[in-house]
Formats: sequence, structure tokens, C-alpha cells
Amino acid sequence: MVARASRGSWEDAGGVAAQAISIQERAALLIREDADAWQEAFAALGGTGEGDAAQRNFELERKLERAAAVPLEIGELGATVAELAALAGEFGEGHARADAVAAAALAAGATRAVGHLVEVNLGVRERDKRLAQARGSEQAALEAVERALESAR
Amino acid sequence: MTDAELVQRCRAGDPDAWAELVNRFSRYVYAVCVKGFRLGDEDAEDVFQEVFTRVYTRLDTLRDDAAVRPWIAQLTRRLCLDTLASGSREQPADVELTPEQERTLEELDEAFDVREALAVLPEPCREILDRFFTRDQSYRTISAELDLPSGTIASRIARCLRKLRDELEGRSEPSEGSRE
Repeated sequence: MVARASRGSWEDAGGVAAQAISIQERAALLIREDADAWQEAFAALGGTGEGDAAQRNFELERKLERAAAVPLEIGELGATVAELAALAGEFGEGHARADAVAAAALAAGATRAVGHLVEVNLGVRERDKRLAQARGSEQAALEAVERALESAR
Repeated sequence: MTDAELVQRCRAGDPDAWAELVNRFSRYVYAVCVKGFRLGDEDAEDVFQEVFTRVYTRLDTLRDDAAVRPWIAQLTRRLCLDTLASGSREQPADVELTPEQERTLEELDEAFDVREALAVLPEPCREILDRFFTRDQSYRTISAELDLPSGTIASRIARCLRKLRDELEGRSEPSEGSRE
């Protein structure tokens, strides 16, 4: 929205808007995928399933792995959104910049939520690379928000 | 090499140019058959062979060398319609394009335009656009793998999109096809 409003004054506005549309489409797919993955993981956690115990454990592990992978991708996307919004906050049309900064902050919040959910729901340990990835996304998003706030001052 | 240059080399009998021409347009022709007209594998293969046979035998009838793609598109569509009309998929004889087929063909044309325009962009642009739009990579991943500051990825992509747009806008619409 900010980029579209800035076409007259910002030469990268069209390219930023195109990236935002692509991210929006990607996010919609990931949200559906996330819901499916969680549903399958919960079902596997609660059910007796088929096959022997080893097979069931293997299936459960696989489903939990997928249930973690999708939110991590959402976290990565959140960091991307924060970066893009920070750029719009810096170069977008004056009256719309505050919206871009707000969008960056919301995206950073989403990445924080992802890190928290991955940590709590999947019981990952401190050294787990998935947790490191979630925190990396969170850190990148926070840095982007800081830049956006700085440029707005 | 532009389409026009490629056609000129084909006319001159350069076998490598013919191979390049087939390579350049084969995915497009196949996509029109399969996605545009939903032909089965065998029918698509027949149309594919016939299209390039006609291109080979009738290239001299092409008036504007730069218009080779619309010409190939026209040939492909006509042969696909003939295939449908011949009853291989139990279609009526007077087959016409449905609005959905028209849309699909337009999208295929656009996709092909973008692919051609991408091919002439500098390699760093092709790379970063492919990573973001095709492989769905995040800025963080692109940043790590290309060793670029994360905060610069969005603006780099935007600049490359601008170059892509300029390339697409700079392409003149072909004015005429073959003398058929």
C-alpha cells in the first residue's frame, strides 16, 4: 500500500510493491500449510495410529518436524516483511511512512511469536538449529524495525 | 542472440541455429499444448513434431524475422485446435478457444516474455530475481548465500525489476507474421 502510494516519488516503489504481492501470496499458502501441519501433528500426538511403536514414533517425529518447519518459514517471511516495510518507511511517501513502520513492527512481532511457539510447542532445546533459525529471523526483523523507527524520527 | 538473428542463421542453414531455435521455443510450444489446450502426452507430442516440421519447411514464408514467436504460437494454436477438432478428445468439429484457454495462453505468452527478458539481464539480477520469486527464498537466505547485507536485498530486487520492466517495455510488438 505504501509503495503503491509512492509511485510518483520513489523509483523503486513498483519493485517494492511487486515483492509485497509475492510475499502476500506466499504467506497465504504458508498459513494454510501451517494449519494442516499442526492438525496432523496434533492428531499424531493423540492417536494410536497404525503399525508398531517404532513406526508410530517415526511418523510422529516426521509430523512434528513438518509442524516446526512451516512456522520457521513464516518467521523467515516475517523478517522479509519487516525489511521490506523498513525500506518503505524510509523511502515511501511521507504521509504513508508511519504505516510502513507499523507494518515492520507487526512483522517483527510475528517473528517473535514464531520463535516462542517453536520453543514451547515443539520442546526444542537451546542448541536446536531450528531455534537458532527462529531467533535469527527475530533478530533480523527487530533490526529492521529499529532502522524504520530511526528513519521516522 | 535475438530471435531475428536466430531466424537469419536458420535461413542460412546453420544446424546449431536450428537446434537453438527448437531449444528456445520447445517449452513454450509444449506448454501451449498441455496447459493451454490440455492435450494428452501423445497428442502434444504429435503437435510438437508438426509445429517444428512446419517451422523448418516454411521459415521462408515468415515476413518479419523478429515475429517468429507469434508465428510459432499461431502454428501451435492452429494445430492444437485441429487436433481437438479431429476428435481425439471428443470435441466438436468447430472448436474455438474458451475464455479460460485464452487466459492461459495469454499467461503463457507473458511468462515467455518475462523469461526472454530475464535472459538478457545481468547475471546478478537474474540470480536475485530467481531466488526471490522462483525459489521463494527469504532476504536472510539470499543475504547469506550471496554474501550481501540483508538490508540491501529488497532495493536490489526492486532495481532488477526496474531493469526487467525496461527490457519488457523496450521490446517492440511484432507487426506481422507469415505470408500464409
